[in-house]
Amino acid sequence: MFIFEYFAPLLKQVILLGTGALTTLRIFFLTLLFSLPLGLLIALARMAPQKWLSAPVKLFILIMRGTPLILQLIFFYFAPSAILPEGLRFTLPRFSAAVLAFSLNYAAYFAEIYRGGIESIPQGQYEAAAVLGFTKSQTFFRIILPQVIKRILPPVSNEVITLVKDSALITVLGISELFRVARNEANRLFSTSPLFIAGLFYLFMNWIVTKLFDAAEKKLSYYR
Amino acid sequence: MKKGIGFMLALLLVFLLIVSGNAAPKKDTSWEEIAKRGYFVLGLDDSFPPMGFRDDKGQIVGFDIDVAKAVCQRLGIELKLQPINWDAKEQELNTKNIDCIWNGLTITPERKKNVLFTKPYMDNRQVIVVRADSGLASLSALAGKTLGLQAGSSAKDALNNVPDFEASLANVIEFDENMTALMDLELGGLDAVLMDEIVARYYIQQRNKNFMVLDEALASEEYGIGFRKNDQALMEKFQNTLIAMAEDGTLAAISKAWFGEDITVINR
Repeated sequence: MFIFEYFAPLLKQVILLGTGALTTLRIFFLTLLFSLPLGLLIALARMAPQKWLSAPVKLFILIMRGTPLILQLIFFYFAPSAILPEGLRFTLPRFSAAVLAFSLNYAAYFAEIYRGGIESIPQGQYEAAAVLGFTKSQTFFRIILPQVIKRILPPVSNEVITLVKDSALITVLGISELFRVARNEANRLFSTSPLFIAGLFYLFMNWIVTKLFDAAEKKLSYYR
Repeated sequence: MKKGIGFMLALLLVFLLIVSGNAAPKKDTSWEEIAKRGYFVLGLDDSFPPMGFRDDKGQIVGFDIDVAKAVCQRLGIELKLQPINWDAKEQELNTKNIDCIWNGLTITPERKKNVLFTKPYMDNRQVIVVRADSGLASLSALAGKTLGLQAGSSAKDALNNVPDFEASLANVIEFDENMTALMDLELGGLDAVLMDEIVARYYIQQRNKNFMVLDEALASEEYGIGFRKNDQALMEKFQNTLIAMAEDGTLAAISKAWFGEDITVINR
């Protein structure tokens, strides 16, 4: 009975935080869904020999990496209705604005990781592929990209783990996610324990992320 | 590189031109729009007990929330609650993400420039909370001490208005929420917290904390509901409903449920 009385409020808290964690997971998965492919496109554009293509992309990467993500969140939410002319003004729903800001921001980081990976593949492989009669796109998707993915897994896992924790920034748009729920609970109970429980949630999520990347690395290390 | 800077400057100029373009004054249809839409969005900082906060089920409750529900019921519209970041409350209002700020919002001259306020519905003071056993009993005793307050709150304005007191403090620390400041006070990281009396007294009573409110207050102020500058009709609709509720005793009943007495002032 005593144990029940002690654990019942704790269980309630864990459930409440769990609902907050769902929002965290939604922003996490949606961001990865959009930013991983977008990052590759940005990387290719960044490496394009045409200046009209690579220069604006360079500027984009500079802005997205060079300004705080929290500011970008505020920008995508408030700016469309503040700086556009009357009639064209609109406001994205809070959550969509958050997904947009996260996706663009993470795509910029992923793009540089992809670029590092792609540029690490020796030129000789392209020449060999050309000799063997591969087309340009075949060379890229069948020969280059699989090796790139293998090489960039560790830096990508860094970003993905950071993303789990960065998701807490969306509270700046009034969205209630794991950390916000924990803070509210902490305020209500006048105790810091919900914050530490939230910490365990983040740790658990990143433990899973780490395990998945470990498994992926093992699976891809077929030549070792 | 020089070309790039020139391009960015040109872009900035275009933005500025667009921003500065003034719209012609239009007829005030703010209430009709809300009535047609059928719902009204109330923006609040959901960590501001007893005015608006989350209960143990995560639901938003509070004195302001109960009053807003009653008003919206009378007006035949649905009430939607939207938690916002308190620092961005004016942007949220002006970009129409919310229709009002109703959350123990203090009427200040500064805010009046950007926000249209109803008549005050409650009096409030900016008071100083200290640990009861700290022996601090007056403003002058706080010289060289560390004070905490909520960022973007009227506590900050109140402090700025008493420059001598502000200068006497060793440190002013701004928190996202009052409650974080109170936690820090309990831990000893702060010597005092400057905050709304209504919130402070409710908290001390609810949590049975060993805190004390100094008799000397920093400023007297009033709570009002903040609307968009152009939404005169909408504001009046809500204000008149509130006055009607004060006259028939509804407002007093809600106040008694939260504070034990009627402390509303809209009809006085």
